[in-house]
Formats: sequence, structure tokens, C-alpha cells
Amino acid sequence: MKKKISPMTRKSFVTYGLLLIVFIAVEIMMNTGNISSMLKGLLVPVCVYSILAVSLNLTVGILGELSLGQAGFMCIGAYSSAIFSNLVKDTITQPLIRFPLAIIIGGICAALFGILIGIPVLRLRGDYLAIVTLAFGEIIKNVFAALYIGYDSTGLHFSLKSQGDLGLGADGKMIINGALGISGTPNDSTFEIAAAILFITLIIAYNFVNSRTGRAVMSIRDNRIAAESVGINITKYKLITFGLTAFLAGVAGVLYSHNFYSLQASKFDYNMSILVLVFVVLGGIGSIRGSVIAAVVLTMLPEYLRSINNYRMLFYAVILIVMMICTSNATIRNFFVHNFEKLKGLIFKNKSKTVKEAE
Amino acid sequence: MALLEVKKLGISFGGLRAVDEFSIKIEKGELYGLIGPNGAGKTTIFNLLTGVYKPTDGSILLDGVDITGKSTIQINRAGIARTFQNIRLFHNLSVIDNVKVGLHNHYKYSAGTGVFRLPKYFRTEKEMNKKALELLKVFDLDGEAYLPASGLPYGKQRKLEIARALATEPKLLLLDEPAAGMNPNETAGLMDTILTVRDEFGVTVLLIEHDMFLVSGICEKLTVLNFGQLLCEGKTGDVLSNPEVIKAYLGE
Amino acid sequence: MAFLDNLINGISLGSIYAVIALGYTLVYGIAKMLNFAHGDVIMVGGYVVFTAMVDWGMNSWLSVGLAIVACTVLGITIEKVAYKPLRKATSLSVLITAIGMSYFLQNMALLIFGEKPKTFTSVINIPKISLFDGKVVIKGETTAAIIVSIVIVVCLSLFVNHTQKGRAMLAVSEDKDAAQLMGINVNSTISLTFAIGSGLAAVAGVLLCSSYPTLSNTTGAMPGIKAFVAAVFGGIGSIPGAMIGGILIGVIEILGRAYISPQLSDAIVFAVLILVLMIKPTGILGKKINEKV
Repeated sequence: MKKKISPMTRKSFVTYGLLLIVFIAVEIMMNTGNISSMLKGLLVPVCVYSILAVSLNLTVGILGELSLGQAGFMCIGAYSSAIFSNLVKDTITQPLIRFPLAIIIGGICAALFGILIGIPVLRLRGDYLAIVTLAFGEIIKNVFAALYIGYDSTGLHFSLKSQGDLGLGADGKMIINGALGISGTPNDSTFEIAAAILFITLIIAYNFVNSRTGRAVMSIRDNRIAAESVGINITKYKLITFGLTAFLAGVAGVLYSHNFYSLQASKFDYNMSILVLVFVVLGGIGSIRGSVIAAVVLTMLPEYLRSINNYRMLFYAVILIVMMICTSNATIRNFFVHNFEKLKGLIFKNKSKTVKEAE
Repeated sequence: MALLEVKKLGISFGGLRAVDEFSIKIEKGELYGLIGPNGAGKTTIFNLLTGVYKPTDGSILLDGVDITGKSTIQINRAGIARTFQNIRLFHNLSVIDNVKVGLHNHYKYSAGTGVFRLPKYFRTEKEMNKKALELLKVFDLDGEAYLPASGLPYGKQRKLEIARALATEPKLLLLDEPAAGMNPNETAGLMDTILTVRDEFGVTVLLIEHDMFLVSGICEKLTVLNFGQLLCEGKTGDVLSNPEVIKAYLGE
Repeated sequence: MAFLDNLINGISLGSIYAVIALGYTLVYGIAKMLNFAHGDVIMVGGYVVFTAMVDWGMNSWLSVGLAIVACTVLGITIEKVAYKPLRKATSLSVLITAIGMSYFLQNMALLIFGEKPKTFTSVINIPKISLFDGKVVIKGETTAAIIVSIVIVVCLSLFVNHTQKGRAMLAVSEDKDAAQLMGINVNSTISLTFAIGSGLAAVAGVLLCSSYPTLSNTTGAMPGIKAFVAAVFGGIGSIPGAMIGGILIGVIEILGRAYISPQLSDAIVFAVLILVLMIKPTGILGKKINEKV
């Protein structure tokens, strides 16, 4: 039998290729100085949002559950890594050592929280799971906004009340200052690192989906009862997916926090989680490449079309509603599929003929 | 020793006694039929045997091991696989992937091995593909291996469900109305397939069916259920000529 | 005395949550969906009353009536436009649509009314009650919230259990298809449910804005989510459960704010939700639903 490449593998390599082309193009633009400062400023956020979208798509598209806690996991990654970087920035001065460590720490902290949250709530399904993840996201945001951390020669100090309550010595330095957040984080996020991590994220996501584990997760999505009947451990695979989603969101948080000098927990609110959901829905639930494209387009577009900025959020809302109705209502979907096929038939008339003959 | 020995199994839903004092003994390699009028509790018994429902009383022994009250997953690992009356496929997955999910607990590698594509991943996937294609071939589905399961015609979906169940390497296979919605030709083909499954895979089969052509054609023994209770049991020919059974089916 | 004060405030806020929670519980029980936009209908109700009173100079009672009508129409429209086409879709699609609808209402209000919050004038003119020589004062808004919520719960219970339309709602909540076969018009029953829920949201909006007079486009979001927590706590689908859950959540929130941490009061409410779902996912008065295999 002729060795054939599975459609999934082909899909993933096309995505890798596209990303590589875009990366090289941007690098050329940067090195020849043909890049606007606005675009330059958008490069890291675009990667961050792409990673977030791919990560959420694992839960929404592959596991088939809705998580509204994406911002919360991101927040944990951002804060834990920023604390680390702030503590070691004077001892480890080389960012190429410091930053990978920060990424690992941020990712693992977020994944641990994801699993911790997952254990009690993954028994729940659908609406309840969504609201619980939303609740966890809010709790995380509120706790970080009320948290004060500082250090002096005697060690680390924590408080949930105020800066004064820390009792720092004369040589003390603040790391987290309550609602004012965290400042002084080294700007270690470069476009190259962010792009590399996006690349790794894609490899992880595609390989995950296209493996024994991914199949088990998708079988749960398609039919939970049948999956149990063939011996698939539902909780285990839900937890793995949830943990992976949280890990990647945490890593995105690390890139995010190391892109700004100061950062407040209020950034990681419900709107952030919804934004990522909009990327996933617009890109197509379950489509990893679609998530990246949607994240890139929707992050850049409002910056270039300032005039529509006021309508941006309204537009997002309409995307969510219209996409769902068009893909989930059988009548409307068939209408689109039918006309799309007709259109395709007109454009690719000759091509489809040859394919048929070959078969 | 019998492969499956069920003693005085019962379950109540609120005040309703859905199954009461149900006992059955199936020997290894038998092709056994469970029949009865609609609402007699046949599917409920399948759900009890596979751990979807927990029995209120009674015991279930599989190959001498007590599996009463165990979870669906544990019971599948102990050796019972099933199909469903209303087909439950993984409809977005390809035909071969449906079977590969069935192979899940027999061909293992960790999530990390999969994500990082370690050599074991390629080795195991290759073995899985081979095994899955072999299974699909038995059911004449190997030509459609890479199509989405939802695209298969009805009769083939039923066959795929059986293939997926067999992939878990069960000792006992439960088939819930396998011939439902099939035309006589398809049913005849299905009967051959069930016999092949029993003879070539050495799997014991318990099936629920309303199609008397299939039941009398391949089942060696029958148990008749009525109103959640055992009405009679024995050799197929004897049971089907029993006046009690005829009365239950046709009324007074 | 400070404790008593807090307790009364908690019950007052809880009564408002209860009225909102009723809307969630009705819709969840009958349409089997989490109507995320419910909280934002509250905000719309608030804006209607505000506009009617301030911009059009309408009398307060008339404004409230107008808000109820507007929200009822809005609720029915939302259901027809966004949710009805998804009756047969997965719960994931329905949930995402509902989130989209919530976001739509919030941002529409932002475009129409602007970012700057409005200061709402209370529509309630019940005199305050002084207890213990004025050490504890019960505001008119508090009395109104408690009385209104009790009246609503009693009326709604009577309606659901003793009228034909109400019993049709119960039937649809048990089994949509069977109800259809029995000659119940499922579509109009679901519309009626949304109408009642949204009308109640308008009432809740008026009570909420009278007690907490800052009105912005996100006014309804947090109370909406907390009321859902209340509905789950009390047992989703249960009318008295919504009342009990609402009061408990209100009291927990106010006591948490007073005695634990003002910044963490939201976090405490959400922690309660998680605990309830871990220990008793069906809530205080909820019933277990078996999945059919």
C-alpha cells in the first residue's frame, strides 16, 4: 500500500509553513527598518492572543466544553513569572536564561491551578462548568488585586490588606502593590521568543489532537456514554486537556507580563476571556489554524481601523451570535454549504473533474 | 463455570420496579438472545450489566469475578463491551479512529509521548492502524476507513459500532437491537457477521432483538423478559413455542 | 447593632438577587439553557426608567411600567432571534450565543448611553423605619425589595402550579417532546417564560438601581452572575429555591464585605458556588436529573 500522509498531518504542516513565511517576512521588515512602530508594538500581543486562542480551542473545540477562565490562567502565569523575574533580575542578568525559567514557572503554576480547579469541577458539564470557570477567573483576579507582596533582607512579606501591613524593612522593595499591580518586570518578551513559543504551541496542539490522548478527548466530546463504554476514563482526559489549556494560557500570560513594565490584575477580566472566545469562534471551533488567523486579524484590525474602534466590542458580540446560528442551525447551515458547494463547483469545475477521474 | 452469571438482579426508579429478580447464566461461546415486548426492561438490563445504572440488589459475576456496582470503565476493562439501541458513534472522528478509540486500553503510550512524538508513538500508532484495519476488514468497512463516521449509511454505522466494541477485546459482547432499521438483506448479512464474531474472535454474545428471523436464525438460547421479570428461558426452539411467550407477545 | 444592620442590608440585596434568580431558574428549567443575557436585561430596565424619568419627565410608576413592558418585549425578541434557531443545537453553541447576546446588550448600551455612569434617582417613596432608638434604620428601598420579592415568589408559585399556562410550563420543563404531543404549544410556552423572566428582570433593575444608584452598561453583569449562583445554590428550576438562594447569597456577600475583606466579597460569593457544586450540585431544593441511555 502506498504510504499516505494523513489529512491532519498535512493540515499541520501547512500551518507551520504559513507561520514560518509570516515570521521571515516580519524579520526582513524589521531588519530593513520597514516596520511602523505600531506594528512593532503589536507583534508580541498578536503572538500572545494566538497562543491563548489555540489553548482555549483545545478545551472548546477538542473537549467540547466551554471555559471562561482563560484570563484567570493567564493571570496566574503572568503574576507568578513576574514575581520570579523581579526577584532574580539582579542575580540572573542574562534574559536568555531568566526568561525560559520564567516561562516554565508561569506555565506550570497555571497548569497546577487548572488541574486543581479541574478536579472538583470537571464532573460538571456544560453550563455549570462554564460558570465555575468564570467564577474561578474572577476569584483569581480579585485575589491578585488584593494581594501585596514585598521583600527585604528578612525575606518575603505577604498581605491581603495594605502596603503598610507588610512591615517591610528600610531596604524593602514592593513586588505586587495591590490593585496597582506589579511593576519593574524586565521586558524580556521579544518577537522572536514569542513567535518561537507560538510555534511550539502549535506543534503541541496538533500533536496532542493527533494522538491516542487527543482521540480519547474527542471521543468524550462526540459521545460521552459511548466513550465510557469502551473504557475511556472521562475525568482523566478532561483533566489532561484542562491542564494543557491552562499551561498554554499561563505561558501566554508570561509573554504578556514581560511585555509591559507594569501590569494590573484588572487587565485579566471577563472581557479578556470573551475576547479569546471570539477568536476561537470566528476561527472555527476545533480549527487550530483558524484560531491563529482570527487572533491575528482581530488584534490588528482595530488598530488600523481606529474609526471602528467604538464598534469593536459590538462587532465581537455579533460574531459570536451569527457564527453560532450559522453553524448550528441545520437549515441555515445547509443553505450555506449548498451554495458554497455550488460556488466551488463553478470555480474549480475542471479541477474537481480531474480528481474524480483519478479516483 | 459460566462466563456470565447474574443472580436476582433488580433496580427501582423511584417507585417503579424496572427489573426484578432477573437471573441469567451464559456459558462461554454461547450466542444468547434476550427478548421481550417493548418496555420489558431489556435495555435496562444492558445498562445494569455495563454499570450505567447501579443495581439496587442482586449480583453480576463475569468469568467468576464480581463486577456488581463497578463503573462502566471498570466493567469494560473486565471484559464487557456493548452497542447501543440508538447508535452512538464518535461521529466527527473517522471510521478508523472510532475503532482506535476502542483499542485505547490495549495499545498505550503517554500523552507526553504523543505530544513530543517519541519513537514509541510511531511504533504504537502503526500497530494500532494495522489492528484497526484488520477489524474493519471483518466488517467490510476497510474501504471507508478514512471517512467521517457520520457519513456512513445506517447499516454500516451499526457494523462500525460492533467493530469498535470488539476492539476493546471483550469476553462478552452485548448487542442492543443490532438489526433495527435494517432490510432483510442487511439483516442476513448481519447474522453472518455476528456468527463470524463469535467463531473467529471467540466472543460470547448476548443480544436484544425484536427481529424473530434473526433470533431464531442464530440464537442458541433465549431468555424472555416481561414487565421487568423473567418469563421463561431455554433453547430457542422450546422458548419460541412456549404458550406463555406467545401470550406475552400477542396478548390474550 | 452593626451586625443587624449588615444582616438587613444582606437580606435586602438578597431579595433583589432572588428576583433576578427567578428569571434564571424559570428559563433554565423550561428552555434548559443558561440565559447569560438575563443580567443585562436588568441594566436595560434601569436605563429605560432613567431615560423615562429624567429625559422624558415621566412619573416614576409609569416609568417602571414602561421598563417592564420594554424588557418583556426585549426578552421575547432575544429568544426569537438568537435562541430559537438553536433549539436543537449543542449546549455549547447555545451558551456561546447567550454570551454573545449579553455582550451585545452591554456594548449597545455603551454606544447609546456612553461610558459615564448615570446617577439613578430612587423611585421608592416608602418612609424609613427606625428601630432601637434609631440605632438600626431600615431604608424604604430595603422594605420595598423584601416585600416585592415575597409578592413575586408567591404569585409566581401560584401561577405555575394553579393555572393552565403555568402547568404547561411545568410540562415543557419535564419533557418538551411529550408536552408537544399532548397539544402544548412549546414555542409559545418558552416565549412566555422569557417574557416573565425579563419582566422580572426589569423589576429587579429598578430595585437594584434604587438601592445602588450607579447605572452603567455593566450594572447588570455581576448581579446577574451572582443571581445565577443564587439559583444554583437554591436548586436550579425551583422557585422557592431561588428565593432561599438569593437571600443567602446576599447575606454572605454583605457579611463577607463587612467582616472579611471588601475587595474579596465577590470572590467569597464565587467560592460558595464552587463549594455548593462540589458538595451538592443539585442545590438546596433541586432534584437530580437522570440521563437517558
